[in-house]
Amino acid sequence: MPRSVAIIGYAALPVGKIQRPPHEKIQSLEHELMAKLVVEATRMAGVEKSDIEAMSFALPRPYTQQKYFATFMAHYLQLPLHGGIAEILGNGMTGALAFEKAADEVLLGRAKVSLALGINFESAINATEHMMSSMRATGDVDFQSPFGITPIAWYAMDAMRYIHEFGSSREEIASVAVKNRFHASLNPLAQFRSPITLEEVLAQRPIVEPLGLYEVPPRGDGAVCLVLADEEYARTLGRPYVRIRGRGFYHEGAHQISETPNDMIALEAAQIAGKKAYADAGVTVRDIDLAEIYAPCTIVEVLASEALGLIPRGQGAKWAQEDRTKLGGDIPISTSGGFTSRGHPAYVTPLYSFVEAFEQLLGTAGDRQVKNAELALTSAELGNYNAALVHILEGVRP
Amino acid sequence: MIEVISVSHDHPYPPRISEFTKPFWDALAEGRFITTRSRASGALTFPPKPISPQDWSGDMEWVDLSGNGVLYSYTTIHAAPAAFVADLPYIVCIVDLDEGLRLATRYLGNSPQIGEQVKMVSIAHPNSFSFGALAL
Repeated sequence: MPRSVAIIGYAALPVGKIQRPPHEKIQSLEHELMAKLVVEATRMAGVEKSDIEAMSFALPRPYTQQKYFATFMAHYLQLPLHGGIAEILGNGMTGALAFEKAADEVLLGRAKVSLALGINFESAINATEHMMSSMRATGDVDFQSPFGITPIAWYAMDAMRYIHEFGSSREEIASVAVKNRFHASLNPLAQFRSPITLEEVLAQRPIVEPLGLYEVPPRGDGAVCLVLADEEYARTLGRPYVRIRGRGFYHEGAHQISETPNDMIALEAAQIAGKKAYADAGVTVRDIDLAEIYAPCTIVEVLASEALGLIPRGQGAKWAQEDRTKLGGDIPISTSGGFTSRGHPAYVTPLYSFVEAFEQLLGTAGDRQVKNAELALTSAELGNYNAALVHILEGVRP
Repeated sequence: MIEVISVSHDHPYPPRISEFTKPFWDALAEGRFITTRSRASGALTFPPKPISPQDWSGDMEWVDLSGNGVLYSYTTIHAAPAAFVADLPYIVCIVDLDEGLRLATRYLGNSPQIGEQVKMVSIAHPNSFSFGALAL
């Protein structure tokens, strides 16, 4: 009987500007915040410190002064581990890969209980400085970075192509930002919660055309600790939990753009990973009740929702405009508020997706509860969705 | 052959040059846009590489490209990394070259149109060569 993995608890910081500027006398320390989240998550899960056998961290940002953060945390928490301990980097999907490694420790029988966790501190470093690093990650450093192409410029080029190919418009795509701000107004973890209108979104200053300030992700800090467990063990705890029902991954072997002209906005990796995840879960796309899609900008939610088969090709922006991807609609997407409003503390953002799925599937999402939510989809990606990692999650309520 | 434009300002973030890619950068000075092709399969690749990504052959030759292509997409950037703040706003784009290669570069005009014919140009800075795309 193959093992399966359950998410049995979590703790998370509301996303925001937590990091203090370097010159300030009093600093916020990542390890203090992380330790408190571990204790809180463990308590919620109903397990003991001695049950935890593995920790899998999202790599902290380079601005975190405490290096070898994962093993420092094992010391700070006085937590010996039989299963494993690591810091994981997977570019945009870093948090999801940290989650995967924690799940793998359980699947391989190395840990009965494992933690998937991380803290992303970067808001005190200004964007122009940060982009000198991030541009080298999202482009060929010698043949693309010299042109000053920024990480979200690629998504903006997706948007321009989408508008050209499908007769869409900035206004139509921007409705995603309005919808997601409404969702965020109902999410205590969200960075920005005041509802906004389409007019306000369109009036913001351009960042990478056609995307303005409210159509791209804010800079922010965040931290999450998820507690994972062998499902057989989770059952003995007698509490509701979420199980990983399916998983799909694909990397198309390209970095940002393919050298060979292709349909850049088809997001082939998401198409393939999604199909694999549905097959692995033994479900169809129509069975999905909500989706937390990795989408740094409005256009990415549009494209990924189409690539994942949730919405017909070319209709993603229209569906958002028509409230069909809003809470109460055909397929609620980003009930957390998504990247533009819940925020994007980049290396841990995927961990927030699992938190939202956990709350929705166990009926604890409060005012943003999707009725009868049984199956959730989460996606993570890197580059321009050059790779996608999709999970299908299921709520189990004894 | 492609046009060579001389500019008086240094490139703010010049590319590194390797023993292998040096011919590419030298060719820009001569108004040529070149890249590598696998002798084993004939597959072109850009940027130039010592190993063919398609067939993993190490037997590469240099070939001249026309420099002509089609504009696939573009965006105007208003928030830049520190080195490029002085250039703001600037336009970056994706070009599909006639030879079946896709690349990303700067758009050097003012009103890009997706689908328009473009040509690559060589840009001679005092400290470095670069290139960009211009509407035909």
